[in-house]
Amino acid sequence: MRNNSLLSYNILLAMQSFKRAKSLYFLIILTLSIGVGVLCANLALVNSMASDPIPEKSANLLHISMNTWPDVQPPDEPMHILRYRDAMRIAESDIPLRSAVFYASGVYARDIESTSMKRFDSRVRATTPGFFELADAPFAFGTAFEKSRGMEVVIGHELNQKIFAGKNSVGKTLELDGELLTIVGVLKPWIVRPLFYHPTEGRAFDLTDDIFAPLETAIDLGWSIHARSSSTDNYAGVNETRDRNVYYLQAWVELDDIAKKSALQSYLDNYSQQLKDAGEHPLAINNKLHNVNEWLKEAKVVDQKVLAFTLASILFLSVCIFNASSLLLSRFHAAKFEVGLRRAIGASNKHMMMQGLTESVLLGVFTGVIAVILSWFFLKISVQFLPRLANIAVLEPKLLVLGMFLALITAIASALYPLYRANRYTISAELK
Amino acid sequence: MLKMNNISRIYQSDTIQTHALRDFSLNVGAGEFVAVTGPSGSGKSTFLNVAGLLDNFDKGQYELDGVSVQGLKDSELSRLRNEKIGFIFQNYNLIPDYSIFDNVDMPLRYRGFSSSERKRRVEQALEKVGLASRMKYLPSQLSGGQQQRVAIARALAGEPKILLADEPTGNLDSLMARQVMEILHDLNKEGATIIMVTHDPDQAREVNRNVQIIDGQLADFKIYAPLDRKSQSDDDNQSIASVVSKEVHKEEVDA
Ligand SMILES: Nc1ncnc2c1ncn2[C@@H]1O[C@H](COP(=O)(O)OP(=O)(O)O)[C@@H](O)[C@H]1O
Ligand SMILES: [Mg+2]
Repeated sequence: MRNNSLLSYNILLAMQSFKRAKSLYFLIILTLSIGVGVLCANLALVNSMASDPIPEKSANLLHISMNTWPDVQPPDEPMHILRYRDAMRIAESDIPLRSAVFYASGVYARDIESTSMKRFDSRVRATTPGFFELADAPFAFGTAFEKSRGMEVVIGHELNQKIFAGKNSVGKTLELDGELLTIVGVLKPWIVRPLFYHPTEGRAFDLTDDIFAPLETAIDLGWSIHARSSSTDNYAGVNETRDRNVYYLQAWVELDDIAKKSALQSYLDNYSQQLKDAGEHPLAINNKLHNVNEWLKEAKVVDQKVLAFTLASILFLSVCIFNASSLLLSRFHAAKFEVGLRRAIGASNKHMMMQGLTESVLLGVFTGVIAVILSWFFLKISVQFLPRLANIAVLEPKLLVLGMFLALITAIASALYPLYRANRYTISAELK
Repeated sequence: MLKMNNISRIYQSDTIQTHALRDFSLNVGAGEFVAVTGPSGSGKSTFLNVAGLLDNFDKGQYELDGVSVQGLKDSELSRLRNEKIGFIFQNYNLIPDYSIFDNVDMPLRYRGFSSSERKRRVEQALEKVGLASRMKYLPSQLSGGQQQRVAIARALAGEPKILLADEPTGNLDSLMARQVMEILHDLNKEGATIIMVTHDPDQAREVNRNVQIIDGQLADFKIYAPLDRKSQSDDDNQSIASVVSKEVHKEEVDA
């Protein structure tokens, strides 16, 4: 009861104090919230870059790189893109729970029932059916396709919005580059950030794909490769790649038990050794398995420049705190008389500390709100200048909380020294 | 009520030591009205600040209403200031942008009273100084004398054991000073213990005990003979007193 009424008294006093020195407090709040806002915006970028996109099973999902290049000088060692027959060797194995072999492509899509001839430029993932469960793709309607061959597709939420206004489009037929494929499934909005299944070639912050098509069908239809590929053979189209040395497929596996990793490793190594023994490649056996986080690290998803900027924003924030602290010091200087008087009529040091802290906490709350708005604004601006940040510059709820928390801490930190000073005067010194 | 024994207060600056109080001893009983006089710089304010626990002392013993104050923690000293002492300053020391009510209410806030109890006490205290009708005013809207009466109400609101006043009329003209003195006399009649620093010999003469401080020590002689106010027959004084009560009455009706 007593503490309660003192708290509301302290809040009242803080509000009066803000009103009394509006411009000063405005400056303090602005200074602190710019500092917190910049750091928070920066942390939002780091958070997007460094987070684990599929935490439930990131340790059990393995990306496979192999050495089967038929020449002495491979483009990379080992290579993260695989030849069709190598990839199929992986898909065949029953060591993993499931696997996904895919490549990125692109087509123009149109609803055959539509009167409009408008075609939507769509990103395609041509994949084996294991992909959906492996990557936890969430279905809104229908299901995944069951085989690697078939005139069927799964489409993403956004494309479904664009073409079918978000309605259940399962059973509808799309015309994709002149071919007719039936929709069997529609995904819910699906954010994978970073895009762990394809973080290479600067795609870590791309959106998930618009269309998922059966791998064999896409190859048969000759849907072109929209990502890195390497080859030692000539080929006229993707449909000719199955038995040639064209490296373009990526392979992921999901293990139900990470202990099976070594079995998988020897399975791959044996295979490479067989090829080598048969004289198909001259290279040392070097197959690599990376789990999701290892693979994101390998793909250098966290930008070093952004990390350097984080350090700079922390320093900037501390400058802001020093500034706010000296502004507050002048405020507490002016309040010396009031502090002396309150002490004289019976407020204890602790009372005055609580009054000062209440003021700083309120200051922190205001700062937090403005800081969060500012960081949203800073992110918008950074996307203007660096469009490739578009899908990273996202303020998640936990960052809003962090921003509020940082603002509170900085406001209290800024007030600590002035508070300490204000309470050290002899009571009688200010009163005549 | 107040017992000081061999109190010393030394102000230490870079080069000089000032002995503001030296082996200062004084006893004040409950219900006394003590006037403290002495030359400027003799240590009167220092004495009152030490008595009011606004300043600490370097040596000696001080007992206030049976409580020995040496070695008390800040929270305990604050509590004593809040509950037992009412301090009245020469400069009133009201907070300019708080209303009269809020100014008087201030010490009660640290007491844990309910808001109705605080309201009752503030109103009662303001009534005693004849300003109950000015609760919503700001200090700047009142005369100096009225402001000092607000300060007295603030000192009274906590129902303290002792009132300490440092030249309470020092900034006031004689009429307003008179009003303040009348209020103090009334309070004393009702039983309040009061220690007042003054440089006005007439004021000192009115009260029942005089002490003089010279050079940080109690002078063991008295300059002014104490007067018994009840037997006083000074016509001049009487008329001023009646003017005052009329004035106070008039303000009550005005507002
Ligand atoms: N805070 C202080 N620091 C240093 N010296 C002080 C301080 N307060 C008072 N003094 C000195 O102590 C002496 C007594 O002062 P004070 O008690 O204010 O005298 P009075 O009220 O009788 O005029 C004076 O010499 C004064 O200069
Ligand atoms: Mg003085």
